[in-house]
Amino acid sequence: MASLDSAPAVPLKAAPAKARVPVGALIGLGLLVLAALPVLLGASNYMLGLLISALILSGVALAWALLGNLGGMVSFGHAAFFGVGAYASALLAGKLGLPVLLTVPLGGVVAVVSSLAMLPALRLSGAYFALAILAYAQIFRILATEASWLTGGGAGYQRYPGLPTVFGFDLASRTGSYLLLVACVALCALAYHAVRRSHVGLALRAIADSEDATRVVGVNSTFLKCLMLMLSAFITGVFGALNAHIIGFLEPDYAFSGIWSLMPIIAAIFGGYRTIAGPIGGAVIIYLFDQIVAKGLIAVGHQIILGFVLVGMVLAAPNGLLGLVRKRARHA
Amino acid sequence: MLELDAVTVRFGGLVALRDVTFSVKPGEILGLVGPNGAGKTTLFNGISGLTRVRGRIRFEGRDVTKLPLYRRARLGIGRTFQIPQPMQHLTVRENLAVAQVFGAGKHNPERIEEILSVMELQAQGDRPAESALALQELKRLEIAKALATEPRLLLLDEVLAGLESQAKRQFAAKLKELHQRFGLTIVIVEHDIETISGLCSRAVVLNFGEIIADGTPAQVFRDPRVVESYTGTAHA
Amino acid sequence: MTDLILQALFSGLLVGSVYALVALGLALSFGAMRIINLAHGELVLLAAYCAYVVEARAGLDPYYAIPLALLVVTAVCAVLFLMIDRIREHRELNSLILTFGIGIILTNAILLAFASDVRTTSSPVLQDATSVGPVYAMNGEIVAFGVSLALMVALWWWLKKSWYGRAVRAVSSNRAAAKLMGISPVRTELVSFLVAGALASFAGVALYTMSVVQPAVGHALTVKAFIVTVLAGVGSIPGVFLAAILLGVTEALTVTLASSALQELAGMVLFLLVLFLLPNGLFGARARRG
Repeated sequence: MASLDSAPAVPLKAAPAKARVPVGALIGLGLLVLAALPVLLGASNYMLGLLISALILSGVALAWALLGNLGGMVSFGHAAFFGVGAYASALLAGKLGLPVLLTVPLGGVVAVVSSLAMLPALRLSGAYFALAILAYAQIFRILATEASWLTGGGAGYQRYPGLPTVFGFDLASRTGSYLLLVACVALCALAYHAVRRSHVGLALRAIADSEDATRVVGVNSTFLKCLMLMLSAFITGVFGALNAHIIGFLEPDYAFSGIWSLMPIIAAIFGGYRTIAGPIGGAVIIYLFDQIVAKGLIAVGHQIILGFVLVGMVLAAPNGLLGLVRKRARHA
Repeated sequence: MLELDAVTVRFGGLVALRDVTFSVKPGEILGLVGPNGAGKTTLFNGISGLTRVRGRIRFEGRDVTKLPLYRRARLGIGRTFQIPQPMQHLTVRENLAVAQVFGAGKHNPERIEEILSVMELQAQGDRPAESALALQELKRLEIAKALATEPRLLLLDEVLAGLESQAKRQFAAKLKELHQRFGLTIVIVEHDIETISGLCSRAVVLNFGEIIADGTPAQVFRDPRVVESYTGTAHA
Repeated sequence: MTDLILQALFSGLLVGSVYALVALGLALSFGAMRIINLAHGELVLLAAYCAYVVEARAGLDPYYAIPLALLVVTAVCAVLFLMIDRIREHRELNSLILTFGIGIILTNAILLAFASDVRTTSSPVLQDATSVGPVYAMNGEIVAFGVSLALMVALWWWLKKSWYGRAVRAVSSNRAAAKLMGISPVRTELVSFLVAGALASFAGVALYTMSVVQPAVGHALTVKAFIVTVLAGVGSIPGVFLAAILLGVTEALTVTLASSALQELAGMVLFLLVLFLLPNGLFGARARRG
């Protein structure tokens, strides 16, 4: 049944609400424990560094999947939001001296503003939207390079503060950054979940079925899609900003790199973009695989392996790894 | 209630509606009659905002000609589709909830239950609308969805088609009940002369995109042009 | 100054003709299948590297690469088509992701095989300049322009006259109805995909003989082809041709009057203007609403 694959926001059978809450809470608790494990086990700084980068991708992958699953839009240009969020936060903190804990969400806000430039593209049909957003990503990279008076241009920008110490807890340390990212990813997952089960989420699922039938009962479908684009841009911008303050150095070719568009797609498709856990877990697996396995096999051009993974997933398991497991389970 | 002034719709070179002018009075049940391809569904699409029209459409004194589809739904124009278009992956209740929240502006579960019970869909409430429903249930869901937006004007596109005469009479009685209970003005597309005569206080006949008759059902069905268009002798 | 502007207009016209070929390939596969091939630019790039292999490794004139490029690119197209044809659910979305992945594979395969160095023709004849009135052009550019024009006329004629052309148009306007008329959508789709590949082959070889190529160019070409399609609106071949020349001229004028760093941006700005002000494109009558 199709409903199994489309991850219903509300249980199809009205299951007693009491029975569901502990299960969800338990899973959440379990995931948090899992997330805390590396710290508890005293993972090496190298490993924590990898996990930090992986979690940055988790956040972007989640944002990408939200746009795809709820908004029905495929984006090949999330690097634009990522880079805009990174530069906005770094510049606000570095040039205006605003506190980093404020500039990070502001980075998300600026990414939302930049997404407004994409709104006319929403008039285009799905495939054309995908291409339009591909083109947009380039615009921002060129702008960041050309506006060298502000961004330092191609030479890069690095005189901006890192993550601060809060209540004696150093967020700039590997452990601190890691836990901060776990919290941010969890927060975004909760927000995604809340949207998905709201009436807005229901309407968005209905739009995917039949846009006219949904609009005719009073749903402003374009507005709801805009909202999803903006939410997705915000989350991506925030993670771009976090990354900027963790890395401590920005240059246009890095901040707007196609990697930030490509990796989230692979992660979300791999994990299953119609779920919430899929993109998060997918990003961790794909990033670690890329850094540890693929890079070891092929130093330059290791993305070719990711390309094969992506193509393989679309052909063999378009619903992601979780979908594949479910399919096997049903056939067994 | 609803006033149409010289409404014209062209698809490329084809004129689907030409200078259609008529008005619907509050509380009326108006039958929209005409052979296939006469422009009835196009007219509904024009009124509800699915198709752009030339001319002017006023709803409760307000010019809605340029308003988008969803705004008209919120103002109180509800409609059904000839081929039911449920929100497939949502349950029946969720279908109504979306219509209610976005079309009427606030969530009211009791009202949803009321609509479900009137439309005899309570047993199907938690089923997904895609495959679990029979065609007639889907047609009732179409109406229920429209009702959930709290419309004052309801456009019904061939909701009675495909029913045998006994069921048709029952359903027509149901429509009269809705008309009373929800204080609706209804425009209904229907072919069956007997049903129109029993249900409607007035009938408008379209042929080749133009109004050829407008009056009480008894009057229009005596009109020779209507008889001609129905038997099709003149244009064969 | 006037000379410089005239020269920019002329160069823009010449390079625009190749953009038109690339864009037509993209539009053809979109028209028939409602699928955008995000690897289209990489297919062009593949053809360009075929020309490089033939010239630099085999020591032949790059034009001899055309049969090789046709073979390689259409073979990749056929494989690509078979993959897309296997997709059952969410065809539009999944095929986008699939072709995006193929693009990644091709770019990195080229990177692995030929490194990221910039390549161009070493033929002195092709690089030689010929003056046309007050302006100059490389011989390679002139040949590319002529071939592009000829191909466009051929394509226009083929779409208008041949059985396949009519079938392609029928399938793209109404798949179900075309099926009823006995037209096999799969076959017509395959043919339009292969023709798009053939166009990409010529465009790639032309690009190699008149400009420079490197692995990253494929992606940029896809974006350019897309911009041309947006500028042109719903596609007629003359519309695509004019839009492509507009893009070429805009880029060339930007390089002449401002800086070469802004070349890409100029195309984007043009694209944004059209998107905001003329959502149906410069020559399109119908909206592309989904």
